[in-house]
Amino acid sequence: MNEQPVMVFKDVVKVYPLPSGDVTALDDINFKVERGEFISIMGPSGSGKSTLLNLMGCLDTPTSGDIYISGTRTGDMSDKELTDLRRDRIGFIFQYFNLFPLLNIIENVTFPMMLKSQKAVDPEKGRAALRAVQLDDSLFTHTPTEVSGGQQQRVAVARALINDPDILLCDEPTGNLDSKTGAGIMELMSELNRKGTTIIMVTHDPNIAKYSRRTIRIADGRIVE
Amino acid sequence: MIFWEIAKRNIRIHLLRSSLAMLGIVIGVVAIASMGILGNSLVLTVSDSLKTVGDSVIVTPHVGGTMGGFGGGAGGSSSLKITEQNFQQIKRASAPNVAIPVLQTSDRMKLGVGSDDIVAAIYGLNPDDVPDLLKLKEGGYSRGNSGCLVGSTFATDNNVKVGSRIAIGTDGNKGTLRVTGIIEERGMAFDVSTDSAIVVTKDWFDEIYNRNDYDKVVVKVKNLDDLPAIKTAIENQMNKRDKIVDVVDTRKTMETIFSAFGQITTFVSAIGGISMLVAGVSILNIMMMSVTERIKEIGIMRSIGAQRKEVMSMFLYEALILGVVGSIIGGAMSLLGGYAISSVLLQTTKYLFVFSSLIHIVYGMSFGIVISLICGIYPAWRAANLNPIDALRHE
Repeated sequence: MNEQPVMVFKDVVKVYPLPSGDVTALDDINFKVERGEFISIMGPSGSGKSTLLNLMGCLDTPTSGDIYISGTRTGDMSDKELTDLRRDRIGFIFQYFNLFPLLNIIENVTFPMMLKSQKAVDPEKGRAALRAVQLDDSLFTHTPTEVSGGQQQRVAVARALINDPDILLCDEPTGNLDSKTGAGIMELMSELNRKGTTIIMVTHDPNIAKYSRRTIRIADGRIVE
Repeated sequence: MIFWEIAKRNIRIHLLRSSLAMLGIVIGVVAIASMGILGNSLVLTVSDSLKTVGDSVIVTPHVGGTMGGFGGGAGGSSSLKITEQNFQQIKRASAPNVAIPVLQTSDRMKLGVGSDDIVAAIYGLNPDDVPDLLKLKEGGYSRGNSGCLVGSTFATDNNVKVGSRIAIGTDGNKGTLRVTGIIEERGMAFDVSTDSAIVVTKDWFDEIYNRNDYDKVVVKVKNLDDLPAIKTAIENQMNKRDKIVDVVDTRKTMETIFSAFGQITTFVSAIGGISMLVAGVSILNIMMMSVTERIKEIGIMRSIGAQRKEVMSMFLYEALILGVVGSIIGGAMSLLGGYAISSVLLQTTKYLFVFSSLIHIVYGMSFGIVISLICGIYPAWRAANLNPIDALRHE
């Protein structure tokens, strides 16, 4: 059993060099995420939430400090290694669902599996993942534009979970949904968390943050509580 | 693979602009292949008409420069002849190959009572040499001085048959000859061009035109590899001090002609190549559009684990599909284009379905595919190297 934290931020600083002068987006960030946690990250616009999300998702690297994903230090990794890490250890859920319009729902869900196996995959696993997020079988061969926003977000959740990641990273997962549909998605998240999925969610909505079990508040690039 | 599938679907949903880009490739392939087919057909046409003379060395009096040694060296073109003594030297130098002395003039002649005079070339050949040089399609070789052979075009144009009589000279004042045979068509030739001429015996020619020398000597070479050596041997023998004969190796001359035609083919194909470059720019343009439209999609792919090379392959597949489909359509249309151009410009399509013509379709198609891929590289590279964070934020 792997008992080490799934994510560790240690003295992380992120500075954007600009012609008008350096901008410190994150300053001395330290936190740990244990396996099975459900954390929400909250803060006002410009507080550094997006920068933190990019660093957690290995889309960006810190100016200084160290980030560990399941014990692996990301600072010295090549672009290829970071890409593999994103594919195998991290599942992304975006505000605007971000499904591929050229692929049907089953293909969207199995896309990360195909990236991993480099060959055609058994669609049955995709169907099982879609059933797990309570999507009706009749929708599996539709394209994303043919289903509702809530259904699209369920497909996005299934896609994010298909490679059994260590962490689910969510960026305003209900930001583009009505409150009822958003609540449905959050119930789904809670259910996944109860089954052991580690979830980190960036949101500015306190009602959504209530679903998490821990909240990290950030302001002016620093963790405030 | 999923990226191949995405490339195909992206082309399908943008069918109009993909078709327009393919059309450019189609036009480029047709231009290159049709021009290549035309050039090759031209070479084959000339090759067919010259094929009878690729095995000879032609010796003619040297024109220009010092003219001593022949015909008394009096100057003037009429004195440029090859004497019997010179011929014997040439014959020794070219042995054991056959050296055939040729006399040549032209004269008026009449082909029947009441018909108009015509003027035609007259060749004088030793009857023993004629079978080595000319093949008959009708009749037989003439042995006596009263017989002659006629070229196939001459026979057709003047309705001459074996047994017809030809009166030579104004009002037949140089005698009448009976046609004993009709010579096979020979086309353009460096040795003797008999299609529109008549061939008489050397003795008759000497007697009528008061000649005892020759206009040229044709050496028929059995082993074609000996052609350069025989040419050199004759030159060494005859042009020791002054250049008194010109010696032409017909195979070498043909090679020069074919090389010139080859250059023409290359040139016209290159013009077709320009249209292919334009098509390539069109591919580049739509691929750039495709990348710009799909920046966010690229960002999502990269964020969920697609490698740069996988994103790059997706766009290269797209360029490849455009190139391959455009080239296949272009290849098929090149056959029609080649057929039309050959029919119109050469009045024959018999050189279309030969390997050396059809290979130009393969060249055109290959060029189309390569150009498409090359023009897809930059957009694909640009897509693959987008920053995933910027790409995700793109609206």
